[in-house]
Amino acid sequence: MDLFLERLISGLTNGSIYALLALALVVVFRGTGTLNFAQGELALFTTFVAWWLTTQSLPIWFAIAAALGVGFIMGALIERLLIRPVAKRNDMAVLIVALGLFTGLNSLAGLLWGSETKIMPSPFPNGESDFISIGGARLYGDALGVWGALIGLMGLMTLLFRFTKVGLHMRAVADNATSATLAGVRTSRILAIGWGLSGAIGALAGVLVTPLAPQQLSLTTMFSIFIAASAAALFGGLDSLVGAVVGGLVIGVLEAMLTGYVSVIGGSLQQTSALLIIVVILFAKPTGLFGTTKLVRV
Amino acid sequence: MLGANGAGKTTTMQAIAGLMSWRGSIELDGRPLPRRPEQVVRSGVSLVPQGRGTLGALTVLENLRVGAAVRTDAAGVSADIDRWCEVFPVLGRRSRQTAGTLSGGEQQMLAVARALMSRPRLLLCDEPSLGLAPIVVQELFATLARINETDGTAMLIVEQNAELAMDLASTVYLLDVGTIAASGTPADFRADDAVRTAYLGY
Ligand SMILES: Nc1ncnc2c1ncn2[C@@H]1O[C@H](COP(=O)(O)OP(=O)(O)OP(=O)(O)O)[C@@H](O)[C@H]1O
Ligand SMILES: [Mg+2]
Repeated sequence: MDLFLERLISGLTNGSIYALLALALVVVFRGTGTLNFAQGELALFTTFVAWWLTTQSLPIWFAIAAALGVGFIMGALIERLLIRPVAKRNDMAVLIVALGLFTGLNSLAGLLWGSETKIMPSPFPNGESDFISIGGARLYGDALGVWGALIGLMGLMTLLFRFTKVGLHMRAVADNATSATLAGVRTSRILAIGWGLSGAIGALAGVLVTPLAPQQLSLTTMFSIFIAASAAALFGGLDSLVGAVVGGLVIGVLEAMLTGYVSVIGGSLQQTSALLIIVVILFAKPTGLFGTTKLVRV
Repeated sequence: MLGANGAGKTTTMQAIAGLMSWRGSIELDGRPLPRRPEQVVRSGVSLVPQGRGTLGALTVLENLRVGAAVRTDAAGVSADIDRWCEVFPVLGRRSRQTAGTLSGGEQQMLAVARALMSRPRLLLCDEPSLGLAPIVVQELFATLARINETDGTAMLIVEQNAELAMDLASTVYLLDVGTIAASGTPADFRADDAVRTAYLGY
């Protein structure tokens, strides 16, 4: 029982990270209809920024706040300078730019900070004894912190989309960019804000996951996490925030259970199980489990 | 603005609204209009596009609030929302329903109300009567006439039903292959036999 609980806890924690990065993907997809392949590497880059700031003996919380800021600015700049000019041409061009960014950001991080593994400090208490016992299972401080971050972010996003003008305009642009612009919405500013927001959310996912990840902070840290996050976003149909969160948690828990209980699936097959989940969902329901088939009256 | 299918009515409207690039000049009150849609709205021109273009996933209320994107007077915006929900009672009744689930006629009301939310000096309506029951069209046109009278909002309306349009309009323009073939008061139009037989078909 306590083993089951421990696997559940670890699954929910990894799942929360997938959910965070999936939220970043969904925010961009809803605005621009693009799956941002560079999202994981942008998160990696901003995490390196946070790590570097901690090595300058700056407090971890400051480093995280700065990484979020850098993530926002980089996201917005990427939209304005790289995505928008090609978006007018076609979707394939956007995809290729995103793939270019994917390798570009990774190489840039390698160039600036080297390829050896870094130890990213955790913002939460994560010592051997920082846990509370639940039914014999240990719930560590950093797991609780990650859950809290996810819940907090969901709360903030709900407030943003429900109660603010910017949030309303983001939803309007996602629904129909031409109609929004005819109503006077500054579409280009809204798109840049959307990419910036997703850059900041990605940065949050990055700084939270690296202290927990088995390979810590290295140039390959985000690959598997990005794959799981894409699966989570797809699970929700790419345009549903709730779907992305549920998807992230389901994939995290499934992974933990599969690797825990099915002995043939070693740690190295985790990614494959996530991919398998994507394929099964796409077979069963091409719009994802939460995807909206838009209601249109003609 | 009258004209056969393909005469260029929608093209004209879209050019004014900034949805396409154009050469020459478009002026309002003697001042040139900007070329980007959101700036055109800011200078007081609002378009109800052909086929409505409401935001289907957003509620009626949210659609109206998006219509006020260029405004910063929160109290005035709320007052206007109340006003249009009274003028178009169906919007008040369905304020929390998503726009995509409204009927065609209801969506047309919403599109007009949303365009009015920016408090335009000039309202452009591209075939607002398309697909509406005749009685609903009459109601809509009566409402537009009232708003024109009380608020002084200028209106440029594309309409296929020439008789209906001429009952409402003070000036009629007839478009033919991208140029104005004839213009004048409805009375002029009705009196001109050549125009009547060539374009109005009676
Ligand atoms: N981008 C374009 N490229 C080529 N031709 C175009 C383009 N846009 C419009 N046209 C043509 O210009 C003409 C005018 O189109 P427009 O939509 O303005 O007509 P309309 O007067 O609104 O007609 P309707 O009454 O059917 O709505 C049409 O023949 C149309 O095919
Ligand atoms: Mg037309």
